[in-house]
Amino acid sequence: MSSIPTPEGVINWDTLNEIVSMDEDSPDFSKNLIIQYFDQAATTFDQIQEELDGKCELEQLASLGHFLRGSSAALGLQRIAWACERIQNLGRKREGSIRGQTVPDSHYAQLITEALAYARTEFIAAKAELSAFYGSEL
Amino acid sequence: MDASEDNLPGSNGNDTFGISRSGQKSGSNDFVRKLFKILEGGQYTHIVQWTEDGDSFVVLDTNAFTTQILPQHFKHSNFSSFVRQLNKYDFHKIKRTTEEKQNSQYGEHSWEFKHPHFKIHDEEQLDNIKRKSAMQKKFLLYENTVLLKQNAENGVVVDSAADMIFNNTVSKSKFHQLKRKVEALDQEVNYLKNENYELKLGHQKSQSKYNTLLDNLISTKEFSNVLVTNFNVLVNSLTSQGLEIPANLTFNATMPTTHTVKSTQSPQMSSAVPTLPVRKSSNIDSGPPSTTPHMILDHPILRPGFNVLLVEDDSICIQLCSKFLMKYGCTVEVVTDGLAAISTLEKFRYDLVLMDIVMPNLDGATATSIVRSFDNHTPIIAMTGNIEDQDLVTYLQHGMNDILAKPFTKDDLHSMLIRYLRNRVPLSEQRSELSSKTPPSPPLPHSSDVSNLTREEPPIKKQHV
Repeated sequence: MSSIPTPEGVINWDTLNEIVSMDEDSPDFSKNLIIQYFDQAATTFDQIQEELDGKCELEQLASLGHFLRGSSAALGLQRIAWACERIQNLGRKREGSIRGQTVPDSHYAQLITEALAYARTEFIAAKAELSAFYGSEL
Repeated sequence: MDASEDNLPGSNGNDTFGISRSGQKSGSNDFVRKLFKILEGGQYTHIVQWTEDGDSFVVLDTNAFTTQILPQHFKHSNFSSFVRQLNKYDFHKIKRTTEEKQNSQYGEHSWEFKHPHFKIHDEEQLDNIKRKSAMQKKFLLYENTVLLKQNAENGVVVDSAADMIFNNTVSKSKFHQLKRKVEALDQEVNYLKNENYELKLGHQKSQSKYNTLLDNLISTKEFSNVLVTNFNVLVNSLTSQGLEIPANLTFNATMPTTHTVKSTQSPQMSSAVPTLPVRKSSNIDSGPPSTTPHMILDHPILRPGFNVLLVEDDSICIQLCSKFLMKYGCTVEVVTDGLAAISTLEKFRYDLVLMDIVMPNLDGATATSIVRSFDNHTPIIAMTGNIEDQDLVTYLQHGMNDILAKPFTKDDLHSMLIRYLRNRVPLSEQRSELSSKTPPSPPLPHSSDVSNLTREEPPIKKQHV
């Protein structure tokens, strides 16, 4: 899908551990953030899907990708962040072009659909891993 | 003096008709004759007409009168000029109470004027209507007193006017008394201002002395910390070589100093304090501490209390970033788009601004360029995941000071804070210092006037008061 390699591991624990260490001052700080994030991610996925099914404006798709990429990366959910970056770049036509060809928007939309599917898989994986970490279903 | 005078201040001026004042009885009241003709003609009864009794006339519609009759017959369109003119010929406005006005057959807004010789169909009587003799009433205000100049004619009327004026003015002596009082108050205010200024200066001096002392104290303390750790190394190595050293010798030297320092320090330095004792105790436990003193010395001090404006639209990033900032002793305020950032920065000052780039309403780079039009000092740091070269150049061109790439760690953030806030005093502290310098006092009335005075006049010596 892209020349940029997928990160190893669903979660970047260096990043997340730093946030977990904040729990010292305020218990459940990290857990609450994660829960909010899952909410936000699910909503954004739906919005991306809606855009793909509806007007399919690449600008808007890029913007949604950018939005979720920020919080994913901040929490160390690196694979979702990676997929979001793809969506952002595809929406801006900065990647996914084919040399020597002018490709229609639908080409980028198709690639974004794939990236979204990947992000959803990683979302499920992340949820499982973090539920195990916190010892409760998130 | 007369009824219409009340409505017409300054009835001396504006003789719009330029009627000659010499003899010519019939010619001298053209104005009145013109008016008589208009009324007799009955052409404008809806605007102006005789009253039923025929001994007065009434202007029913002042607007129409001003816009139609005046320009046509009197070559102007100023109703009060017309009334003034009437007044000069001793016409009187018939005063009515509000109730009478409401019940008036001529309408609430009608004006009725009367002259004993101005009657319906009675042209002969017009000769008796004369312009009132010119009478000058000039009230000249000399330096300290009121003088009344008057024409000898009509002395009775003027006298009553003079009486009225005198009754409403203050006497010369009283005026002088008040003047002296005001002058004395002025001097007192100036003296107090000077004193206040000197106090401020003194306070500032002692403040800076205090700061130097504090700095000295800190560096002394740091130096003694180095000494103490070195001493501990020495003790440790001596112990390890089998030399016996009295147990109480080891740390007693350090502990009291830290305690005293802690208690005398102002709260602003407290960020530096907690790290030291902690580190020391761990050093003592665990072997060679030779590097740590340097670390302590090099470790840049970030004072607590910096107020940071966080401009970010994502709630998760907001929570995370604020948490980090608070961990470093900052207070955080959050706005969620570029427009809000601009309006907030117009009203308040912050030690630092962390600005997301992609936001609704207005992006961070554009917002910054607008902020830079009125604020060139506050460091504005871009927080962004787009860190391609071209983007970076754009941010800097828009007046952003630096870029914090997303996602960032606590340490990334810390080094950014250090870079821009090291050796700075938080604005909140500067403000509280300022306000403590100026002792709270009730605001002086007309303080701006007073300050103008002080600027104009040489400062008054203390002996004056």
